[in-house]
Amino acid sequence: MNLLSILTFLPLIAGIIILVAPSGWQKQFKYITLAVTLVQIAISGYIYFHFDNSLRGVDLINSYQFKEQISWIRLDLGSMGKLQIDYFLGIDGLSVPFLLLTSIIMMVATISSWEIKTNLKGYFALFLLLDTAIIGVFCALDFFLFYIFYELMLLPLYFLIGMWGGVRREYAAIKFFLYTLAGSVFMLLIMVGLYFSVTDPETGNHTFNMVHMMNPANYSGDSIFGSLAQQTLLGIPARLLGFIILFIAFAIKVPIVPLHTWLPDAHVEAPTPVSIILAGILLKVGGYGILRICYGIFPDAAIHTSWWLGLIGVVSIVYGALNALAQKDLKRLIAYSSVSHMGFVLLGTASLTAEGAAGSVMQMISHGFLSAMLFFLVGIVYNRVHDREIANFRGLANIMPQYTAFVMIAFFASLGLPGFSAFIAEAFSLIGAFNSETVNGAIPRWMAIAGSVGILLSAAYFLWTLQRMFFGQTRLMGGEEWRTKLNDLTMREKLALAPLALLALILGVFPSLAFDKINGSVLELIHHVTGK
Amino acid sequence: MDDYSLYISDSLNGTIAGIRGIYPEIGLVVSFLLVIFSELFFVKRIKQLPFWITLISLAVVFTLTIKQFAIGDSLTLYSGMIVLQPASVYFKLLFLLSAILFIVFVRNNQQMQQHKKGTGDLYAVLIAVLLGMNCMAMSANLLMVYLSIETVSIGSYIMVGYISGDGKQAEASIKYALFGAACSAIMLYGISLIYSFTGTLNLNADLLEGLNAIPVWSAGLAITLFLVGLGFKMSFVPLHFWSPDVYEGAPTPVTAFLTTGSKIAGFALLWRVLEAFNSSGNAISVYDFQGLIGIVAIVTMLFGNLAAIWQDNIKRMLAYSSIGHTGFLMMALVANTAGFKSLIFYLFIYLLTNVAAFMLVDKVEQESGSVNISTYLGLGKSMPLTFISLLIVLISLTGLPPTSGFVAKFLVFGSALESYKSSGSSLILWMMITGAVTTVVSLFYYFKVPLYAYLRKTESILPREKFDVKLVISLVLTFLVLIFGIFPQVITDLIN
Repeated sequence: MNLLSILTFLPLIAGIIILVAPSGWQKQFKYITLAVTLVQIAISGYIYFHFDNSLRGVDLINSYQFKEQISWIRLDLGSMGKLQIDYFLGIDGLSVPFLLLTSIIMMVATISSWEIKTNLKGYFALFLLLDTAIIGVFCALDFFLFYIFYELMLLPLYFLIGMWGGVRREYAAIKFFLYTLAGSVFMLLIMVGLYFSVTDPETGNHTFNMVHMMNPANYSGDSIFGSLAQQTLLGIPARLLGFIILFIAFAIKVPIVPLHTWLPDAHVEAPTPVSIILAGILLKVGGYGILRICYGIFPDAAIHTSWWLGLIGVVSIVYGALNALAQKDLKRLIAYSSVSHMGFVLLGTASLTAEGAAGSVMQMISHGFLSAMLFFLVGIVYNRVHDREIANFRGLANIMPQYTAFVMIAFFASLGLPGFSAFIAEAFSLIGAFNSETVNGAIPRWMAIAGSVGILLSAAYFLWTLQRMFFGQTRLMGGEEWRTKLNDLTMREKLALAPLALLALILGVFPSLAFDKINGSVLELIHHVTGK
Repeated sequence: MDDYSLYISDSLNGTIAGIRGIYPEIGLVVSFLLVIFSELFFVKRIKQLPFWITLISLAVVFTLTIKQFAIGDSLTLYSGMIVLQPASVYFKLLFLLSAILFIVFVRNNQQMQQHKKGTGDLYAVLIAVLLGMNCMAMSANLLMVYLSIETVSIGSYIMVGYISGDGKQAEASIKYALFGAACSAIMLYGISLIYSFTGTLNLNADLLEGLNAIPVWSAGLAITLFLVGLGFKMSFVPLHFWSPDVYEGAPTPVTAFLTTGSKIAGFALLWRVLEAFNSSGNAISVYDFQGLIGIVAIVTMLFGNLAAIWQDNIKRMLAYSSIGHTGFLMMALVANTAGFKSLIFYLFIYLLTNVAAFMLVDKVEQESGSVNISTYLGLGKSMPLTFISLLIVLISLTGLPPTSGFVAKFLVFGSALESYKSSGSSLILWMMITGAVTTVVSLFYYFKVPLYAYLRKTESILPREKFDVKLVISLVLTFLVLIFGIFPQVITDLIN
């Protein structure tokens, strides 16, 4: 067993243990889960420190690290050739930060799961299944395996939102499921098409190996997605169509405007730990998929569409921010701020520059920590008084000083204050977007300018919220009753928040901790796409 | 006189030589008699004797059928009446499997066990139906096609109305019989037209030549009328009208059998016909099978899945979803030879999954009395094993990983894409797109079950789960559905 397999399947095993354990052990389930996530942090920390920065990965199969490849399914399909599906895990600079991010966020989400009181067995079993699926997505290098993990994420999330969620949880859960499935079913068609186009240079079989899919030489001449044949499907060039469909599938997850409408609903209805996972990790799966799969497999189409991608990014930034400004519910506000911040990921990626792409990976990591923190903070208030209307609170700073301190850190970090990770990330994305016109002409300059308007807007909604909810005289909708319930942070909450705040700060001061790991792969990806 | 004696000895020799090709069918006839005898004379003393005899004889026939793989590529018997191919052997094994699951299901169904008629006759009818199905999978002659379809149909009518007590079941069986009779009459008319056009009933090159020689419209009409009979068995649109009512009204084990065994027989026959029309050297030029099947498949997928959304009765929902699955599977038929493996794999998985689904639904009905999804409130918690299995089964029917339903769907998409590559027909592309869209639609109605069972709560007192044989069987089936999803190779290695 390789380290990545252990990292992936450890939660699954723990989940099965929880499932078969007698219900009398209910109280222990959260400790089991916490232990699993701590072991995961240790393993991914080990991987982080033993990761060789000089190996670049992306389209170079030999420079992936911690590889594990086992022949899994071999089907002889007669005239269709031999089906070759491998259990193939491996990581490069694009995936290694996400492993660490996932482990930490899952730990925080576990701590936040203390609030879950009903049906603990089901909850923690699903939680751990989700954990396995997410880690699997970041490690899988075989498209089939990737797809299985990708789809496997949906089911636990459906139940986590649907069973432990808020009032409109049924609607939110099925909406989320349908949106994502609509994207991924078409992804399946493209995956099948890619499979029949690509052959393994060693065995001559058709293969799902993603890294082989990135090399144009592996496409057979007359195949659907072969770059030579220039086939068209329904009048659209096949490779462009493939790129667009894969992009939409991942963009639903990111999410982009106008495919974002599931996100506010899912966030608002989901219990706090699930919101943390959704914002902290799942949105990143979309971004990761765009980088690794859309850009990796269809680099030619990526160049052609970068203007549109940049535009979508800018629209998401501005539209998300404007929406956030208009929200009355604190959780919805943060959900829309996620849409806005994830727009930077798209903008940076679309710029096709090293700065932009590195910035977008950085933005995903930074936003992962910060949004987890923000949702955790919302959850704290909501847990105490079961209300999160901004207008119902005033002057919280007087009664919850420590809480307010953490909120201020999270808000200021999120709006891009220098010294925090979001500043570095957004700055790099914008620099990339700004330079793009002169470097490769992928996206025009005005998009960078429009993107920076988004930062301004995010300052507006965060500061305004801060002012409305935390400053001034204490006036609460629920009166004295709320005042007694609104205690300051407990030790457990501080333990969950402190590492997140610290990480946002550390990454802001020493961004090289992340950049060193991702840089090689980002350069390789840009080289792969633009040839420079 | 001498001439005739020559013929007689020839046909006698042919008959005797042909016997080696029909051992399983002979086995079925013998077991049919055995079951009837046991039901007539011994059932008083040993109540479950017919069941055990049926089970054992089906197992024997199963081994006999497996031995038929040794026959090689193709064996024409009885002066071209039947053709034995590896493909027909696969289908026959699927029929047997569905029959075995059916009798086990009946054995564990209270409603049928408590009926005063007893279940012995049902087993006998089943074996007769099985014989008809086997002939469907092997027939190479239009008369044979008709006879075998009729055998299956008449047996099925009896099965549907076997315990008809209330109005709904009587309605179902009479509807089934009327619709079936009309369809087979139309089919017979089509066959007679084909015969009059071509002078032969054998599905061979002569027949194709004859059809190619006459005007397009006449040939097209004859073939279309002929296909009506097939459509009835497979229940594709627009010949699906009977199926929701019948599936809802029939006893649950029978419904499970009709949606699997009987449907697979329809596919087997269509496969035979398509193969005969495509591979006889000069393919038929007057009739665009691919176009017809493609359009029917698209309409069937859309109709089955969209109609299923509105159903509250779970058996009705599964009925419509099985119409949707028919449409999806027709995609594999269009892909022809490349599609065979995916077709068999899909049918096998569909068989396991669908029988498991009906068993679980039946269990829920028996223990909680709920037949409507909207009354499943809170049952997820009070019947945990049942509903976890049902959930997995429904996920497999939707076609999501890591269940085997996903692998099956994946293989069908693969074979469709392969045939797109060789033919370039955009119809196939549209079929694939429809297949993808309807998958999303199907999620919506399949997930109404967990929605009510898990997400909604109720105050009323809920039944406790009984751990019985039916649950064990469903658990085993569910487990297989999962395992074949992770290791599909176990099955696909067998299909070679």
